[in-house]
Amino acid sequence: MLEINNVTKIYGEGTARVVALDRVSLKVEDGDFIAIMGPSGSGKSTFLNIIGGLDRLTSGEVMLDGHRIDNLGENELVDIRRGKIAYVFQQYHLLPSLTAMENVLLPLIFCGNGADEQKVKTILARVGLGKRAEHKPSQLSGGEQQRVAIARALVSGPSLILADEPTGNMDQKTGNEILELFKELNKEGRSILMVTHSADIAKQAKHIITLQDGQIISKAALQLVR
Amino acid sequence: MKLYQIVAKDVMRRKRRVLYAALGVVIGTMTVVGILTMAFAGQARIYKQLEQYGPNLTVIPAINNLDMKLGNLSMGTLTVGDNYIPQSQVPAIRQIADSNIREVMKIDDQGDIATIAPQLYENTKVNGVSVVVVGVDPEPERLVKSWWNVGKGNYIDGPDDVLVGSMTAELLKLNVGDTVMLNNSPLKIAGILDETGSSDDYQIFAPLASVQKAFDKDGMVSSLDIRALCNSCPVETIADSINKNVPGVRAVAVKQIAKSEMGLVDKMSNLMLALGGITLAVGLFGVVNTMMSSVHERIKDIGIMRAVGASRNQIIKVFIYEALVIGVLGGIVGYLLGTALAYAIGPLVFEGTTISFVPQYFPLALGVSIVVAVAATIYPAIRASQIRVADSFRSV
Repeated sequence: MLEINNVTKIYGEGTARVVALDRVSLKVEDGDFIAIMGPSGSGKSTFLNIIGGLDRLTSGEVMLDGHRIDNLGENELVDIRRGKIAYVFQQYHLLPSLTAMENVLLPLIFCGNGADEQKVKTILARVGLGKRAEHKPSQLSGGEQQRVAIARALVSGPSLILADEPTGNMDQKTGNEILELFKELNKEGRSILMVTHSADIAKQAKHIITLQDGQIISKAALQLVR
Repeated sequence: MKLYQIVAKDVMRRKRRVLYAALGVVIGTMTVVGILTMAFAGQARIYKQLEQYGPNLTVIPAINNLDMKLGNLSMGTLTVGDNYIPQSQVPAIRQIADSNIREVMKIDDQGDIATIAPQLYENTKVNGVSVVVVGVDPEPERLVKSWWNVGKGNYIDGPDDVLVGSMTAELLKLNVGDTVMLNNSPLKIAGILDETGSSDDYQIFAPLASVQKAFDKDGMVSSLDIRALCNSCPVETIADSINKNVPGVRAVAVKQIAKSEMGLVDKMSNLMLALGGITLAVGLFGVVNTMMSSVHERIKDIGIMRAVGASRNQIIKVFIYEALVIGVLGGIVGYLLGTALAYAIGPLVFEGTTISFVPQYFPLALGVSIVVAVAATIYPAIRASQIRVADSFRSV
């Protein structure tokens, strides 16, 4: 479903020039679950941002379902964010003034398809937050906030979820719970690309790729018993 | 749940920031409303003063003096025309004045509008002293000469009543109740006018019909004072029209003083409005500034909204909604403070002027402040919509 060909991303110019990604290529099949590992500054987050159109690449191409998406205009990228690709961030990135319910409603509001509160309730229940719908982010624990963020990612029914260190701010137990949620979503047929620092987390994906200095230095298929 | 509800929640969370932004709008709107309210009160006061100037138009007989010359030798002047206006022409003159005013003021009422005060001047001797007796129509005369004040006795009430100017009364030692003979008609002094400083002080006023009868001038008047009750009344047009259509009379507009007086007020209002405009512009920059920092402080929120599917237009909308909140808030507070400001300093600017609430300025204040707030927000909003999502997260 997703094909990344020779993607290069360069920040800055002259002496400040930094090559964040250096001719990276990767193929993601439908229903895949890929963990992206690598040291800090290896270009993991940049990689994810470019795939999702949050950042522009310097050269190369990104194909989603056979169409190039790296050169799309802002309005077309909006369409992709409204149904095909969704994000989960390490910092959760919830709007602090809104309740969990409202945060999850947000994509539907922007989509203009009517704010279906029943649907949101179902999804919140699905991520285990049925009873905390009216809480604001500040009243929720880190794990709970990440569940809200996952619910928000799910509400628009994306086929690909990009997760940038979703368990990075959590203790191991909470991190594992969140990971379980991702695995369930993957079983439902959604493709997942997840950046992580933790080898324990990465091991539970279907594939692991390791980035270093902007290049993929290893690809491993994991055939673990799940 | 709609986009604007999200904005409302966000505004509530950032009350202080929003109030700060509204302050710029408030100051601008306050100044404009304050100035307008003061100018309004000042104008009303000057209009009132203008009414005291009396008639707007005077109609006199068209008399031409022809110089008679023989070579360089003047043979005197020959007066051509009548010294009087036939009273029968009054309805025609009234018709011209009223229809012109109706047109300008968009009045449908068919009743009389302009006040027309006829006068008949005659020289006579009272107690052996030569005085001018003026035949007047008591009611319109009183309206036209609004500065008249009957000091002793009463105003003319019957056909035999006369009113005496203060100097005449003093010089001729006349008192209320005395009888004066006007060309052998005995009339009783009903009242004595307070000093006016005008020629009225030297005259005697009697009912028009009585004077006409006493001097054998039935149906004749010497002049007509016309007062239109509006300040925007087209007196020049009326005068032209009378001159064109009524033979034997000459109508003169007496509005020069009023005009220069109003010109002064207009200039002053314009100056103050310019001041208000500058204040508003400064307020605009203030709002632009706060909106810019508001954008900056919300870069992350904007990134979040973009990441979950907000389009650029929706981001701009978010900021426009916020501007509407600021504009409405600024409009209401600005109107109230502006009116309060006018109350406070209006009497100092226009001496002794009472300031009154001008409710029609409220929609104006609201409109101005909304326009300012929205205008100040557009640029920051467009900037906000162009922030790249990845950059917005990186900056925090």
